[in-house]
Amino acid sequence: MTAPRVALMVTCLGDVFFPEVGVSIVRLLRRLGATVEFPPGQTCCGLPLFNSGYHTEARAVAARTVALFRDADNVVVPSGSCAWMVKHEYPGLMQDPALKKDALRLAGRTYELSQFLVKVLGRRGFRATVGGRVTYHDSCHLLRGLHEAESPREILRNLEGVEFVELPGADECCGFGGSFAVRLPEVSSQILAKKLENVEATGAACLVACDAGCLMQMGGGLRRRRSRVRAVHLAELLDGGGA
Amino acid sequence: MSQADLSVPFRQRAGSAMKDAFLQEALTIATTKFIGLRREAFGDFPEGEKLRDVAREIKEATLQHLDRYLEQLIDNVERLGGKVHFASTAAEARGVILEIGRRAGARMAVKSKSMATEEIHLNEALEQAGITPVETDLGEYIIQLAHERPSHIIAPAIHKTKGQVADLFAKELRRTVAADPEVLTKIARGELREKFLQADLGITGANFAIADTGTIVLVTNEGNGRMVTSLPRVHVAVMGVEKVVPSMTDLMVFLAILAKSATGQKLSVYTTFVQGPRRAGELEGPEELHLVLLDNGRINQLAGPLREALYCLRCGACLNVCPVYRQIGGHAYGHTYPGPIGILLTAMLSGPASVKELAHASSLCGACAEACPVRIDIPRMLIELRREVDETKIAPRTERAVFKAFGRLLTRPVLYRLAARIARLLQRPFVRDGAIRSLPLFFGDWTRTRDLPAVAPRTFHERWKELAREAPP
Amino acid sequence: MTTREEFMARIRAEMGKTRGLFPATPATRPEYPREEAEAIRAQLAERWPEALERFRREFEKVGGVFHRVPTLTEVPQVVTGIARAREARRLVSWHPSQLGADLGQALAARGLTPLPMPPGEATNPTERARLRQLAASAELGLTGVDLAIAETGTLVLRSGAGRPRSTSLLPAYHIAVFDRTALVESLAQVGVFLELWHADGATEDRGAVISFITGPSRTADIELTLTRGVHGPKEVHVIFVEREIRG
Ligand code: SF4
Repeated sequence: MTAPRVALMVTCLGDVFFPEVGVSIVRLLRRLGATVEFPPGQTCCGLPLFNSGYHTEARAVAARTVALFRDADNVVVPSGSCAWMVKHEYPGLMQDPALKKDALRLAGRTYELSQFLVKVLGRRGFRATVGGRVTYHDSCHLLRGLHEAESPREILRNLEGVEFVELPGADECCGFGGSFAVRLPEVSSQILAKKLENVEATGAACLVACDAGCLMQMGGGLRRRRSRVRAVHLAELLDGGGA
Repeated sequence: MSQADLSVPFRQRAGSAMKDAFLQEALTIATTKFIGLRREAFGDFPEGEKLRDVAREIKEATLQHLDRYLEQLIDNVERLGGKVHFASTAAEARGVILEIGRRAGARMAVKSKSMATEEIHLNEALEQAGITPVETDLGEYIIQLAHERPSHIIAPAIHKTKGQVADLFAKELRRTVAADPEVLTKIARGELREKFLQADLGITGANFAIADTGTIVLVTNEGNGRMVTSLPRVHVAVMGVEKVVPSMTDLMVFLAILAKSATGQKLSVYTTFVQGPRRAGELEGPEELHLVLLDNGRINQLAGPLREALYCLRCGACLNVCPVYRQIGGHAYGHTYPGPIGILLTAMLSGPASVKELAHASSLCGACAEACPVRIDIPRMLIELRREVDETKIAPRTERAVFKAFGRLLTRPVLYRLAARIARLLQRPFVRDGAIRSLPLFFGDWTRTRDLPAVAPRTFHERWKELAREAPP
Repeated sequence: MTTREEFMARIRAEMGKTRGLFPATPATRPEYPREEAEAIRAQLAERWPEALERFRREFEKVGGVFHRVPTLTEVPQVVTGIARAREARRLVSWHPSQLGADLGQALAARGLTPLPMPPGEATNPTERARLRQLAASAELGLTGVDLAIAETGTLVLRSGAGRPRSTSLLPAYHIAVFDRTALVESLAQVGVFLELWHADGATEDRGAVISFITGPSRTADIELTLTRGVHGPKEVHVIFVEREIRG
């Protein structure tokens, strides 16, 4: 098998707030033998605009992204929600037939990271960069949008050096929801508080998720309550990464 | 708290609901219990997933030939001796029912639980016309005594404690009783038994109506549906046009999933098939049967963005799993139908402007669509509503300006990278240890309860150059 | 007032604007409901013991009480047993022609008070009111069963002459008598019978109501505490008779 070519879609949150996640992914994929590219000029998948109903604006952003990734063999995204946007919403958003075709092709080649590792590369055995107990939160778009519950769990269950425990209510929303988190901050925060109580009850040292939005929400909440639990992206936990 | 005051912004209504300690506890207990019961029911029922697809398809198929099925239904109801009425609006529906009541010389109407009659605000109209409406579903009876509105589609009084119910009975019925659900239920049974036997008018909704047979189908647990359709002289059923199903065979598919989704029961206790008024030879049953077919915004959606919401069975499963509903309960929404489906139904009945705030009362987590027995894609339609609210310029001007500017930024990579750098400068006074604990203006809505990660010292874009160099040859 | 024509025209106008969300057809109905119903009966003639066992399990799960007797002759004994334990006496019943037997004397002999109900309708309104009060005063209601659904523990009862709706509704204790010919396995099978009754026009010579009854009346409207007997019966008993009732 020739080395897979991967284009990284780092996403806006990944670029600006969590660059170390992108760095981990690049190193990890290279260690697994992939060639990693980073199409320059990428910004955001447009999901925040789309979800708030600004579809004309979202379409313009999406069209750019489709063009940028036109030649990619595989596109890996560190967030389930952005992967979902590309896979499920891009084709419908494109009006130009040529772009629509490109969008459909892109949709078929886009993967959330854990899916790419398990389902495309067939890799499930990794060593952990930290020790102790870890637990996992299902991000809504990854779970209910991409119907992916198993890939991240497979990796975590097989992860050498850590003990994986299930999080009660793992499939319940963390309360992020993009602009929802600031439009209805009290509701968002109360949803988060319940989530974090469950997290702390597991006794885990790390809360793992595969979505930058959830990590921003849950990580922000954990830091605010001075919890000893750290919110980390799956990529940061896998050896070969480590920013 | 009774129905929320709509002049208060939704965010505040939600806020007060979250300060109501009892409501909070009741919501957590109720929704958690319903979620568990539903899960168990479908866990024991492997064919359930398939049947949900079939049910969804039947709903769509029915809408595609709605005219044919309704004509069939109307003909069959009338063949069986019933009379069918047509109401385009809530007001028209009220008018039709009052006229029926007047002609029957009714003084009292017993009602079994019906969201359609809530939707048209029938009780107030009956009262004004001198016909006393009596809600007979225990939950509805309680909230009627308390002059409130239902807070859940299938458990209208989940926001009340047994203590509150006992106080209510003491005040309204002058009966001092223990705050024990068993005792309270017995009291209600006695009170309502009398009403059933006295009332001239029985008013129900309809869970389904079968085109092929002219059957009106009612699903209840308490038996009030049977009482209301057997004892009073006149029975009026009020039904949204989308409730028609083609045949008995189709109905069985819905029955197999409805109660499991609602309460986790395999079937509700009573499913009542009403096929016309009392027949010759029967000792009991109404002399007159009326079916009121209700439009009230539904027909507009046959070709509208909310078409899929017309599949709804009103089982309440989407409420129980909704993280927003679970925090704020039903009243804070401020309309007849609460929860995620309620937002869509409100928009259907009252137009998109009525939900300009509510359209955003969802994190779009998708739990509703997953729980829905007919897999209604509620999040997609919420986004659709948001779009309508944006495009028809109902959304606040500043919000639209912000999103449009954001959109421009995201299509101009140079500007976008510049903005990241500017933000890094601006955030300086606020950053401690890589995070921001407090920000002014509306950013404070984030930082009040959560740290915000600081813009990284070097964005991924800025690190890529050296990363590219790391690449093995 | 909106007329039927106006209302339907509105619907057609809107329908004309869309082809819908996806291609869809309703459920496939039995083409020959009579033959299918007979086939179900034939199968059940073999596997009724499994169906009965499943019925019992589901019926008990929803709070029903299951009794079993060899022949109709033992039914009054079970009924009086239930009545005595609950200090109940007054009983209304489906008419003997509908029940398949006249148990009135036997029940009376055992100390119950059967309240006489007419075999059909009562034309005189005062008489109707009297009969209703009588039914409302009964503590026990004795009925037959048209179908018993194993999958859900459900009893299907059709109203009609000699089968008042209130017999299974107003008394606190509902007792239903059935034999193996009433057993079906699933909701899908019930669908076949419902289609058959309709195709037959048989729905139309019975009464206007078919009731599915799955356990005693219940509510959980106060603090989600399960409470039985809110409007309908608080107990439902079935008596399974081994020898066919109309044999
Ligand atoms: S939308 Fe679906 S889940 Fe919600 S009430 Fe309607 S049928 Fe039930």
